[in-house]
Amino acid sequence: QDRIEEDKEKGAIVEERRRVLSEWLAWREKEEEELKAERRELGLKEDVEEEEQADGEDGGGAVVE
Amino acid sequence: MRPILLQGHERSLTQIKYTKDGDILFSCAKDQVICAWFSANGERLGTYHGHQGALWTIDIDPSTTLLASGAADNTVRLWDIRTGKCIKVWDFNTAVKRVEFNDDGTKLLAVTEKRMGYLGTIVVLDVKVDVEAEQSDERSLVITCDESKATVAGWSYLSRYIIAGHEDGTVSQYDAKSGDLLINEPVHEDGGQVTDLQMSSDRTYFITASKDKTAKLISARDLTLLKTYPSDTPLNTAAITPKKPFVILGGGQAAMDVTTTSSRQGKFEARFYHKVFEDEIGRVKGHFGPLNTVAVDPLGRGYASGGEDGYVRVHAFDRGYFDFGYEVEREMGLVGKR
Repeated sequence: QDRIEEDKEKGAIVEERRRVLSEWLAWREKEEEELKAERRELGLKEDVEEEEQADGEDGGGAVVE
Repeated sequence: MRPILLQGHERSLTQIKYTKDGDILFSCAKDQVICAWFSANGERLGTYHGHQGALWTIDIDPSTTLLASGAADNTVRLWDIRTGKCIKVWDFNTAVKRVEFNDDGTKLLAVTEKRMGYLGTIVVLDVKVDVEAEQSDERSLVITCDESKATVAGWSYLSRYIIAGHEDGTVSQYDAKSGDLLINEPVHEDGGQVTDLQMSSDRTYFITASKDKTAKLISARDLTLLKTYPSDTPLNTAAITPKKPFVILGGGQAAMDVTTTSSRQGKFEARFYHKVFEDEIGRVKGHFGPLNTVAVDPLGRGYASGGEDGYVRVHAFDRGYFDFGYEVEREMGLVGKR
C-alpha cells in the first residue's frame, strides 16, 4: 500500500515538472519569436549572432535546454 | 570542479566580468585596482590603475576594446583594454555603483549613489567604441530616482529598456530613449535591497538578487515574475548559466558571528538552482567570507566568484555538471546534447 502511495506521489511530481517545463519552453519560444519580429521591424537580422545562437541551443527555446 | 584561486586583490571583491568569448576575466575590488586574468589558467594579464577610491563596478564592451569602471571617487572611467591606458574620465557628484554597456557597446549606463542632497540617478553616456576617438562629456539621458535610489541596472534586448533594481526591493522598467518610468514592481520584500541584476544572454529576461534572501527571474518585456529562488542567507549576487538551465546565487551573513574554525573551512558557498524547477541542486564551498559577485563564462564553460575575503575563484564545469538533468528533461531530449 505504501509503495502504491509513494508511486502516486512520484507520479504527481513528475507530472508537475512536465507541466512546468512545457510552460517554460512555450514562454521561451514566444519570447524568441517576438524578439525576431521586433528585430525584423528595426531592419536588423533576425538571428542575433553566434552567441545567442549558442544560447538558443541552451537557454532557451524549443531547441535544447 | 577544482577551482583556480586568483590572488591579486588586497580587499573585498565587488564585481567580476567575463569578456564575450569568455577568455578573459576582469575583477574589481575595494583596493582601487582592476585586474585582468586569463580565465583558463588564472594568469594575470594586467592591472588598471587610476581610481582614487573603492571600485564598485566594471563592464567590457562586446568587442573587448573598452573597459568601463565606476568607483567611490565619483568617476566613471573608460580604459583601452589592450594598453591599460585610461582614455576618458566622467565626473559625478557621488559614487558610481554600477556601469553596464548596451548590446552594441555604444551606450554606457551608470548608477550614481544618493548622498548629501543628491538624489540617486541612472545616467546614460554615449560611447564611441574606438580607443582613438574623442569621447563626449555629455550625458545623453539622466533618470532621477526620487522614490528609492537605484542600486543596480542593466539594458534590455534591443536597448529598449533600462531595468533597475532599487534599495527598497522594487524593480523598475524605464524607456531607454525618454527615461520615462514605465513600470515599478515590488519584486522583493519591502526594504530587501536589490544587490545584483544580470541579464540572460538575449536580454529578454534577468535575475535579481536581494537582501531578502531570494533571487527572482523576471521578464524584461513586462517585469512578469517568472521564477523565485529562496535561500537562507542575504544574497549579494545572482547569475544565469548559458548552455544549462541553472542559476547561481551568492551571498552570506557578514563575519560577525562566524567562529574561527568554521571560517577556516571556507564555508561560504555558491548555490546552484535549477532555473526552471526552482530547486536547489548543489553548492560549491571555498570562500572565507560572503560572496559579493558571481559571473558565468558566456560560453558556459565555467564560472567565477569574488568574495569579501579578497579572493577570486575560477571554476571549470565538469562532466557531472553537463550531464545533470531531471528525468523529464531527458524524456524531452533536453539533456546531454552539448
